[in-house]
Amino acid sequence: MTDRDPGTDSGPDSRTAETSQPSPVTAEFIEDWRNAAYNCFSSGHKFCREVCPVMQETRNESWTPTAFHANVVAMEQGELSVEDVAEDYVNCTQCGACELRCPNTLFTGDFYRFRTRTVDLVKQMRALAVDNGVHQSGYRRWNLLTDERGHEPVLGATPVSQEHVRDWADGLDLPVGGETVLFVDCEAAFYRTSLPRAVARLLRLAGVEFGLMREQWCCGGPAAEMGYREQSRRFAEHNLADWRASGTRRVLVLDPHDYITFTEDYPAYFGEDFDIEVVLVVELLARLVDEGKLVPSVPVERTVTYHDPCRLNKRKGVWEEPRRILRAIPGLTFHDVDRVTQWSYCSGAGGGLPVEKPELTAAISGTRMRRAAELNVDTLVSACPWSERPLSEAGEEHAIDVVDLHELLAESCGFDVYTGPGAGPAAAGGDGR
Amino acid sequence: MSAPATAAAPQLPDRLLAELVDVLGPAYVLTSKTARYNRARVPAPFPVHRWPERVPDLVVLPGTAEETAEVVRLANAHRVPIVPRDGGTGLTDGAVPERRGIVVDVKRMNAVKEIDTDAWTATVGPGINMLKLNEALAPHGLIYPDDPASYPCSLVGGRIGTSGWSLVGSRYGHSRDLVLSFQLVLPTGDLIRVGDGGGRKTSKSSSGYQLKHLFMGHQGTLGIATEATLKLYPKPEAELSPFFAFSDYDSAHDCVRRLARAGVGVFAGAVLFDEWKVDYLRRDDEAYIPQPKDVRALVCAVAYGNEDEVRAGGRRLMRIARDAGGRYLGDEVSQGDWAARHDRYATPLHGRTREGQVAPMSWHCEDAAVNWARLPAVRREWHAIVERLRERHGIFDDWGMFCYTSADTGVDYLTEIDVGIWEQRLDDEAWAAWVDAKRDIADVALRHGGSISACHGSCREGEVDLVPLELGGGYDVMCEVKRALDPHNIMNPGKYGLHRAYSDSGGGSGPGGGDVGGSGEGVR
Repeated sequence: MTDRDPGTDSGPDSRTAETSQPSPVTAEFIEDWRNAAYNCFSSGHKFCREVCPVMQETRNESWTPTAFHANVVAMEQGELSVEDVAEDYVNCTQCGACELRCPNTLFTGDFYRFRTRTVDLVKQMRALAVDNGVHQSGYRRWNLLTDERGHEPVLGATPVSQEHVRDWADGLDLPVGGETVLFVDCEAAFYRTSLPRAVARLLRLAGVEFGLMREQWCCGGPAAEMGYREQSRRFAEHNLADWRASGTRRVLVLDPHDYITFTEDYPAYFGEDFDIEVVLVVELLARLVDEGKLVPSVPVERTVTYHDPCRLNKRKGVWEEPRRILRAIPGLTFHDVDRVTQWSYCSGAGGGLPVEKPELTAAISGTRMRRAAELNVDTLVSACPWSERPLSEAGEEHAIDVVDLHELLAESCGFDVYTGPGAGPAAAGGDGR
Repeated sequence: MSAPATAAAPQLPDRLLAELVDVLGPAYVLTSKTARYNRARVPAPFPVHRWPERVPDLVVLPGTAEETAEVVRLANAHRVPIVPRDGGTGLTDGAVPERRGIVVDVKRMNAVKEIDTDAWTATVGPGINMLKLNEALAPHGLIYPDDPASYPCSLVGGRIGTSGWSLVGSRYGHSRDLVLSFQLVLPTGDLIRVGDGGGRKTSKSSSGYQLKHLFMGHQGTLGIATEATLKLYPKPEAELSPFFAFSDYDSAHDCVRRLARAGVGVFAGAVLFDEWKVDYLRRDDEAYIPQPKDVRALVCAVAYGNEDEVRAGGRRLMRIARDAGGRYLGDEVSQGDWAARHDRYATPLHGRTREGQVAPMSWHCEDAAVNWARLPAVRREWHAIVERLRERHGIFDDWGMFCYTSADTGVDYLTEIDVGIWEQRLDDEAWAAWVDAKRDIADVALRHGGSISACHGSCREGEVDLVPLELGGGYDVMCEVKRALDPHNIMNPGKYGLHRAYSDSGGGSGPGGGDVGGSGEGVR
């Protein structure tokens, strides 16, 4: 946890000078957000606080959804500037728990279709900071490298590149292009390569026809999460153009983060023009199991619990299909924790947090793993590649394996997931998202 | 010297800052504007344009009782105000800095230190939330039944500083009953433990002065709780919360008395909604299931306990309510409304101006303690006060009244009027009118033999003026105790008018060590 160094605070005069005439983009931001911010400020009851994964670790009230909204009210009053607040907004995984736990969402949601939008606020505030030239050094470096290479620098010192983005599929003879393509996020494409390999083999086994992109770039979501809007949009435009050029109508997505990007950011960028069907692989696999097109029959003797990835459970309401898949796998002993209890669980790996604060990500993963350990399981199953690296590290202390749901299903369908080409995380020490 | 009007950069001696960093480490001494602005607020409405008046100089996040004590010792030596902050969810500004200084935010001290399954106690840090504590207690089949409306976010330490109210208190007691003992940093930095006698886990002692109550509900003016030992109960097998509709207030009023006096052992409380409350819910709470127009008051009765006992007691409560003219609203409304009791209290986000315009509003709640027979008269007078306020300032809305049984006898009630306030439009004139109205509301409670506050405390502007009147000679004792324990007036100065305790000494803290205790400062 850090705070600005004592004594470096600017005085009231400089503040007034900074904020009496906010930049046009800041003024527009305040106008856009003033009512939403006041809706939180006027309630002020902070039910979000104890479900927030960051707050649970840091106990710092400056880094809560309530503070993130109140800062906007203070900006409107001319009391705070974007320079004053920007750094605080690093402390968010964009998991969405606060939105669900907000009494305003719970009680006016149905009638007004209202939802507190903390995740969007955090993204927009980060973007406002970038637009005003206020950068976080880690974010800037990460996005610069992503821009240079077309992919996130998930392997640390080992460069990632377009040349290697399909290496995970070596030997699978997957076609390029086609009506349906499988989009593989940067972490899975370069680091947890066993995951896309398992997905590809399962889809083929079930008779799903699909190809790979001609030139896949990062989805652009991380740039949007960290405030680099222009870059995010450029990446989105590239990917959409690639899909159009190969006649793609449908994109299969195995990563929950990509799923958010394609179903929320891309439609916002392209509006009606975005006519690509986006299919979440875990939902597709659950259906294929239901239809008998995939028959998990090899017993997997593990005692597991399931980690609800935030972007599936909290952001998209996808929690039932992963459990259905787990229950279809023979041999498993499954100690489930319900999805609402898991609103307050997180791996800490989202929203750019590990880029700026890897120690906080590790702490959040550590808490998640202690909760798993209380269930006396030997395995934690996740369905999000980004969560799996920090969770695996946290699992070592408890001798708990972290296994991906797709991989587990592939194993039960008879595939040798963990040996051979693309088996397991690539050996490289990178920092995750 | 009065509090400065702007939130300037920290105005503390450099040496104090360095000493605090030595004690806590730089990560836990916060001077950024956002850290300070976000610890200047509580949910109680206040003019947004006056926010800077309440911004502290810095914030510290101690991790242990010893660190907390050292911070207080330093502040005392430097004569700098200290404001304890727990959840910051209180409604009487206890956690609001009125004289800048150091906010001591205890949220990091949130450990469950011990669960004693023999004595049925838990020993915890003050920064733990009750819901989180109950998650930890669940595997043991135990609960800590302190259940305020702010249950998902308020913290054990703040419950001590406020001497809070539990919605199921008629069954298990309120915070004062449930907190067996606690450790406290006195304003001089000394660490003591208070409880019933010296035993950490005893609930009744006649040994010495009964100090536990003295150090509960002081709104941070007498110290900072740093650890608490709490009384646990077996998790009840069953919950029953029937809601009944009435065509007139008087019948409903009569009903709550009958329910509370029925001697049902599992009875945990009754809640009375008046016709303003029903109208308001019907008008502006979309989550409320509308009732026919002839419904003008509601009563909820709540029971917790073993299933067979709740079944038997519940039958009796149902019969009493029906005999009193109540119409049972069915299981869905009954279970849903009670389950939503925490989430609902801050919503529905908006009210109406006098002209009927929908506006985003903050919620304010007055919370007198009033005896049953006086409830109808207090109700009439309170609504009249709010109506007069609305005539002058359309940004206020009357959201009706709840009354909650305090004890299992139903003799006295937490008597609550909820007022919606469009805080964005709260200018100085409207604020002054609101302060006058609050004073009038408090005055009504006192004239009817009640107390200004059953659960929040009474140190906000307006009501605080009448605290000496309410307590009489007891207030003089408060002043003497304050001065004896806090010789330099560093603990939350400005609250409860306690600067009066120092009026002949020139002692007291403030920016530059000024005499906040000086005369002529009014009663703030």
